Parts: sequence; structure tokens; C-alpha cells
Amino acid sequence: MTAHKQTNLKPRMNDQQEEFFLDGHNPAGTHEPLDFALETQFAEQDHGEAPVQENLLFDREYSENPSNSPQIDLDGMSKPIHQVTVKQYETTQNLAFQHANNLLESLEAQDVAVQYQCREGYCGSCRVQLLEGEVHYIDEPMAWVNSDEVLPCCCIPKTAIRIKLP
Amino acid sequence: MSYTTFNQNSFDTLKQPMFFGETVNVARYDIQKHKIFENLIEKQLSFFWRPEEVDLANDRKDFNDLLDHEKHIFLSNLKYQTLLDSVQGRSPNVAFLPIVSLPELETWIETWSFSETIHSRSYTHIMRNVVPNPAEVFDDITRNDFITRRAVSVTKYYDELIEKCSFYTQLGEGTHTINGKIVDINLYDLKRTLYLTMVSVNVLEAIRFYVSFACSFAFAERAKMEGNAKIIKLIARDEALHLTGTQHILQIMAAGKDDPVMGEIAASCKEEVREIFLEAANQEKEWAGYLFKDGSMLGLNQTILAQYVEYITDQRIVALGLPPIFETKNNPLPWINSWLNSDNVQVAPQEAEISSYLVGALDSAVDTNDFGDFDL
Repeated sequence: MTAHKQTNLKPRMNDQQEEFFLDGHNPAGTHEPLDFALETQFAEQDHGEAPVQENLLFDREYSENPSNSPQIDLDGMSKPIHQVTVKQYETTQNLAFQHANNLLESLEAQDVAVQYQCREGYCGSCRVQLLEGEVHYIDEPMAWVNSDEVLPCCCIPKTAIRIKLP
Repeated sequence: MSYTTFNQNSFDTLKQPMFFGETVNVARYDIQKHKIFENLIEKQLSFFWRPEEVDLANDRKDFNDLLDHEKHIFLSNLKYQTLLDSVQGRSPNVAFLPIVSLPELETWIETWSFSETIHSRSYTHIMRNVVPNPAEVFDDITRNDFITRRAVSVTKYYDELIEKCSFYTQLGEGTHTINGKIVDINLYDLKRTLYLTMVSVNVLEAIRFYVSFACSFAFAERAKMEGNAKIIKLIARDEALHLTGTQHILQIMAAGKDDPVMGEIAASCKEEVREIFLEAANQEKEWAGYLFKDGSMLGLNQTILAQYVEYITDQRIVALGLPPIFETKNNPLPWINSWLNSDNVQVAPQEAEISSYLVGALDSAVDTNDFGDFDL
């Protein structure tokens, strides 16, 4: 913020404060156009190389489309990464959960095809078996979940987990 | 026991089982035995939609351009879905309401059945838009052998339960002679019929609908009949919730905590449950044969659809805690997931017709020229 910009603005605002009428009618009779200096004479400066981290611009709005929600890294933040071991048929994959909205998105981002339908916990299509570890439900699932199952669409791992896909 | 619309007895609602306890008196939700049913009601209400909100203007053109065997696939599916929703729009009310004992479950059944009536209305909306004479299509439902044959399996459990319950409410337990026929009515048998009815409803909503869904989405994958697909998406969303509802009811019954007799029945009925699932799967596979009798459609044929039926049957039966029937490994129609997900396309509501944005009269005609002055 430059110093002269402030000196330009301040006295003006103070002077005209009392003459401010919402409906534009000015009973005092002065017909000077009101200048609230909404636009300064100084164009906003382009910060050019400012350190805007692309990955900070992660937008929850688009989270349902897996391709738009890669797992995100935040520089300088500790990462609650949990190991996710996925068993499917005879194969076992070692993956990691880090900063995804939910386990389902994390798995999809790592090319694991999980069944899904509603993606908000009421249909139960994405059920997987939790063999080891603990998860935290962001939203309480509405679908029926057996005691050894979890719904990846609405949970995140609390510890390292081992899951078995149907 | 006879049915009364307002039970004057005072009793502890929380001690009632889901069915065959005291009939509900006060529709109160401050105390609830199974809170899940209120959650389901709220979810279902938040899903409310009207068929007229979906614009089908382009579908008429698409339909006229379809090949004859594709028209057959499209119309046959609609006929079958019309049958299923006709049944579902009334049967839960008629069959379950006289025997339900919990207010939250009673209201869920009513809410559930009501949403099926929206589905029925949407079929008329589709027919009005795509065919010149909807009556021809609707009249065929009761005449078409392939449809009526399956109607029997869809309705036989409902009908049996309704008949037995009406005897039970009028005459109570015991051996009765009705119209010269000896009928033995006992509560255990009634509960058993109820359990099997609930399984057949689960099958109806979890398997039978999905063949039609797959075909509708296969048309839409080719950018045909997209308005129809949008309606089917909304229907699929409702059905997924109903499916969760019946799964909860069945699992609560099987756990036996709600009603120990039900727990015993569930444990003893496993073979019948498997039979119900298997019969439905076979009928749906047969139906796939009828659909594609004159030719397949792009991306879908009888074999793939039959595999999908097997896959979905396994998924549903496993969810009830029973072993899979077909041991299928993976989904033969993986693209269907994104169609079944009703809100997978995240765009600004004013830019596209998305099913979560419920306003009618949208302009769905877009021409390449519309982007003439558009530069990136």
C-alpha cells in the first residue's frame, strides 16, 4: 500500500461523510457531485511473480469430479498422510491418503476404480471392507454399513488403513 | 387385533417392534426407536422434483430418428418401469401401513410411496413428449406377455401379505374357513411373509429397475434421449434411497433386537431370499433378451446387460449379508456410475440443465453457430 494513496482518500471521505444520503437527495442544497473515490487514480498493481500456489486454489465445488481433485500438497504444512493398503482380488496396492476430501476421491486419484453412485453416503454403492485401522466419518453415512465395512465416499482415514475392495 | 386409525391405548412407542405391534397413534417424532427412518424422510423430501422441470423437446426429435429396434428397446423399458412404479406407488402403503407400529417408519413408508407416484407421473410426461399417442403404449402394459409375466413375481408377495393381513385384522390368529377355504393364520407365518415381501421389494428396487436404467443411459451416452436420461437419473437417485430404506428394514429385522421372532425368521429364510434374488436376476436376463430381440444398441447388448444384472445382483445380496450368487468380479458397465450419480457434472446452474437445479423451461437447443463470436 502506498502512502500517498491513503492521504488522498482520507480527508475526502471525512469531509463528505455528513452529506451522504442514500436516496441522492441533498437537503442542504449543495449540488456538488458526490465523489466517494470508489476508483483511485492508481491502477492496481500487478504482483507479477507473487507466490500464489496453484495447489492452494483447490476448490471444493469441483470436488465431485475426480480429475479435478488431485490430492493436494500444502507447502510448509505437516501432511496427515496415512498409508492405505488396498486389497483387490489377489493384488495388494500400497497407496497414500493425503489431503483429499474423502477416501473415495483419494483412491480415484490413485487410479483405483471403486464403485460409486451417490457419493454422499446414502446409497452404499462404494462400501469396502476395512481390515485394519480406523476412519473418521465427515458425514454420518445413511446407507447400511456392516460392522466391518466403511463407505469411502464420506470418510477419511484416522490411521494407516488396510481395505479390501469387493 | 383390528386396525384402528387412532389407537386409543397408551403404550411406550419405543418398546414397539417395527411391524405387528400396537398400531401407531400419535405421529410423533420427538422420540424415535430407529432414527434412520427420519433421516431417510428428510433426504427424500430434499430430493423433491417434478417431471415437468425436465425439458423433453429434443427427445421427440431423437426418438423419431431412432431405428425401429431401438424404439422397441426404449418403449419396452418405459412400459416395464411404468409397471414397477405403478406397483410401488401404492403397495407399500396398502401392505405395510396397516401393520406398522412406529411413527417414523410409518411416515417413511408414506414418503417413499409418494415419491414413486412422481416417477409414474414422469413416465406419462415422457410418453406425451415422445410419442403421438401415449395410450397405445400404456394399454400394451397389461397385454404384453413379457411384462405381465414378470408382474406376477413383482406382486405375488405383496398380494399374499395383504390378503393374510386382512384376515388377521378381521379374524385374528387361528384356523378360519373363508368362502369354503380353510385358512390358517398365525403371526409367525405373517411375519415370515412380511420378511419375504420386504426382500422382494428390495429386489424390485435394487435389481429390476437397473436394466432399464442401463438402457436409458446407453442412449444418453450417444447423446440420444437426454431429457429422458435426466428424468431417469432423478428416478435412480430416489431408488437408491429406497434401496437403503429396505436394506435397513431387512437388517434391523435380521439383527433380531427389534423383534426376536423376526431375527429367527431371517436366519431361517436365507435359502428363500437367495431364490428370490436368483429368480429376479434370471427374469431380468430374459428381459434383456426380449429387449434386444430385433437388434442391439451401440454400447449395449444382451450379453453385457446380462453380466450387469449378475453383477448388480451380487452387490445387492452381499449388502444383505448373504453370499454372492454369481461371483462376478467387476462392473461390466463402468460408465454407468457417473450416470447414476445425479450431480456429477458441476457447472453453473444457469449454464446447463443439471438435475440439482430445479427450474423448468430451459433452452436445450444449442447450435455450433451459437459459439461463433466466442474466443478463448
